[in-house]
Amino acid sequence: MKLLLKLLILILPISFLLIFYILLTEDKSYPGADYDTYDLPDFELESLSGDKIFKTSVENKDLLLNVWASWCITCRVEHPFLMNLKKQGIPILGLNYKDEREDAISWLNKYGNPYKENIHDYKGTLALDLGVTGAPETFLIINGKVVAHYQGEVNEVIWNEVFVPFIKKEGVF
Amino acid sequence: MRIFFIVIFSLSMNLLSDSIYNFENEEDEIRFNILVKEIRCPKCTSGSLSSSNAPISQDLKLKIVEMIKEDKSDEEIKEYISTRFGIDSLYEPGLTKDTYFLWFAPFLLLIFALTIFIIRKTE
Repeated sequence: MKLLLKLLILILPISFLLIFYILLTEDKSYPGADYDTYDLPDFELESLSGDKIFKTSVENKDLLLNVWASWCITCRVEHPFLMNLKKQGIPILGLNYKDEREDAISWLNKYGNPYKENIHDYKGTLALDLGVTGAPETFLIINGKVVAHYQGEVNEVIWNEVFVPFIKKEGVF
Repeated sequence: MRIFFIVIFSLSMNLLSDSIYNFENEEDEIRFNILVKEIRCPKCTSGSLSSSNAPISQDLKLKIVEMIKEDKSDEEIKEYISTRFGIDSLYEPGLTKDTYFLWFAPFLLLIFALTIFIIRKTE
């Protein structure tokens, strides 16, 4: 009995530590990425070119949604990779986040436009509904549903680690 | 002297200031102040919304005000934020199957310690 008690005193704390260690270090996803599936929130905004754009305009579509702004330095770093994706024929919808329309348009004219269309989210309302914390962020939307989300600059590594598995699985683009 | 004070007070910036959030009643304001302390700022290392002036926190605070005005409950507001910014945006995690261990482990330890204590006492 005494021995059993002594052993328990040793085993129990160790098992607790182990459980916490396993729970806390469990690698659920790539850092900065999450894979919650949800519908796009309702929105009614203008595009950068001034046309009205609604949730229905992107419903049932497969595309990449990229949050960017002309004031965002990391977006400038990310930009060449997006141009590359455009060349591969991947449709990218831009979400211009808290930006002046003129600044955004001149940024696109200066560096090139990887986007099919741009939503002008001047107040950041759609971005807030999507759970955007800043720019750049990228969402993979398949059949009108968000399936993957990455916070930060998308580059070759992130693209292959976070997005490509979904694209292959669903067979889109 | 009186004129001096009148001039000073009329030039005071306080007269021009207004509260950022306009609540309909005091109860709403109290609810708001409690909520912003219970929700974590998504961009800060463990700072609450109330402690943060990050753009995303300002947006979230305005959203909370808007939701309070729309008569949304505290639970609905917290759900709005935790579904978008993760369950860890709430300082007090809810009781779900992922958090059972977190909530009940201290009691398990206590029961275990008591059992050992009683066994050793009776021996």
